[in-house]
Amino acid sequence: MQIQVKCNCGEQNCPEWAIVELQGVIEPQPAFQDRLQNLEIGQLCRASSQTYTFTVGYHELTGSKVPLKKPLLVLKKIRHADEEKVELEVIGIIRQRILFKTRPKALISRSQPGTKERVSAPGSLVPK
Amino acid sequence: MEMVAEQPKSACRGAEAVLNLQPTSSVSIAYHSLFGPHDDLILLELDEKLLPDVLHHRVTLRGQPDEDAVLCTMSKTYAVKFVGTSNSVLLIPPSEQLVLCGNTQDCDEKDRVEKLVAPVIKVAPGVMELVEVAPRIDRLKMLLSENPYRFDDALMSEELDEMEKNNTRLYSWSDLNDRVQASNDELRSGLQALSAVEIDGYWRIVDENYMDGILNMLLHNLVLNDWSLNGLNETEVIGVLQSDGFPCEIAQHCLQVYGSKTDDGVWKLDEKQVCVHFARAILRGGKMRMDNFMVEWMRKIPEGMQASYDMLEGEVLTDKIGIETWVYAFDVSSLPSAPAERFSMLFRERPKWEWNDLQPYIRDLSVPGLSSEGLLLKYTRRTQPTPDAEPVFSAR
Repeated sequence: MQIQVKCNCGEQNCPEWAIVELQGVIEPQPAFQDRLQNLEIGQLCRASSQTYTFTVGYHELTGSKVPLKKPLLVLKKIRHADEEKVELEVIGIIRQRILFKTRPKALISRSQPGTKERVSAPGSLVPK
Repeated sequence: MEMVAEQPKSACRGAEAVLNLQPTSSVSIAYHSLFGPHDDLILLELDEKLLPDVLHHRVTLRGQPDEDAVLCTMSKTYAVKFVGTSNSVLLIPPSEQLVLCGNTQDCDEKDRVEKLVAPVIKVAPGVMELVEVAPRIDRLKMLLSENPYRFDDALMSEELDEMEKNNTRLYSWSDLNDRVQASNDELRSGLQALSAVEIDGYWRIVDENYMDGILNMLLHNLVLNDWSLNGLNETEVIGVLQSDGFPCEIAQHCLQVYGSKTDDGVWKLDEKQVCVHFARAILRGGKMRMDNFMVEWMRKIPEGMQASYDMLEGEVLTDKIGIETWVYAFDVSSLPSAPAERFSMLFRERPKWEWNDLQPYIRDLSVPGLSSEGLLLKYTRRTQPTPDAEPVFSAR
């Protein structure tokens, strides 16, 4: 059996995807467990040219943008309905990721709910 | 004014919003409206140098459902391995593909208009990595050996209709692509190493006895027509062999196997190929005393050619029984190409090998990333009774 790897974008125009990578697992509150769609995870902030922060709930992560040693291709498996034939299509390329490899820092909790945008502002507090 | 006009566009952006994020600005990372496991989205890590091959459709995955898939470029074969991660890898598509993924409402939602949103389509559990491997070419030999081209085929070829051909086990180039885990270049050299020939669109190996018959006929005609060993005219040779009852493709194949085309456009018989052929034919009968074998072999060698025992490296082994030396066929091309199986066969044949004997049976092994010294370290135990003695290799 052969699976052809196809690509419609061509070398120059392969759309670039992004990765935000962090250690551990993001755990939504139990109430949202079954309806994650469209739920905000957190605020990604570029605090300075080198430093990125990612605020998730009351936790803040500090990280940076890192180029990948080897590029990643995003492939989509396409199953043709009428036959068993499967194709793989290149739909994107990933060359860099925003990597957070530190342990999260706890933020002092705010009393007002629903003000996540403002919560992310402390990103400028202690950029290393 | 311009700001206002641009606002809706920038309100809905994916990967670009993350990658082009300006200092002191921020973007909201949210689950996509179609967030899910999306097992049909796969991340493949690959070397920058392989990118053009993939983007220009020169790459295929090959394998039967029960085999681990390999990825083949035109010239190389790579094993595909899944490497998992315990990190959370949030995958964010670019804005142009948000629609492609079915997400259109983000832009319309009023509460999102004010800010940048990067939607996460899935959390990637890991990536597929590529490791260069030797092609799994033994399968090719197995397939072609099912049904070698014999004398009967030559007689029947006219009468076989398509139906019958489909019932017998015959393989076209694309059948082989489907079944053999090797790149096109590797498959081509595998076919060449097996001296396979394409007949009526199917790749075949030719039965030894049949090849013996046609080579003898060629040598017979050489004497009859006073042709030169180094100046065979292709048309003339093929014409004569055809009139002797051999199909044109097989006559052509005979020249290719036992000869080579010179720059002058004539064919030259290859001394080693011809001599080795006769040694094999003689030893097909079994083990022989060395002196008897040499006499028989020299008798078979056509005039003008010179056989030497060195030609039989990787073809025969010898045994000392008392004061007599016996010789028997042990052909490197009949051995498996995977190193572990190759060494296991070699040590089953003989528990101890001297380097000179062993070398012809392992020099063709190639494992990407492992030198021949590395192979020996991995699969053999080397002993040297005294510092100036020849090293001996045994199984680990």
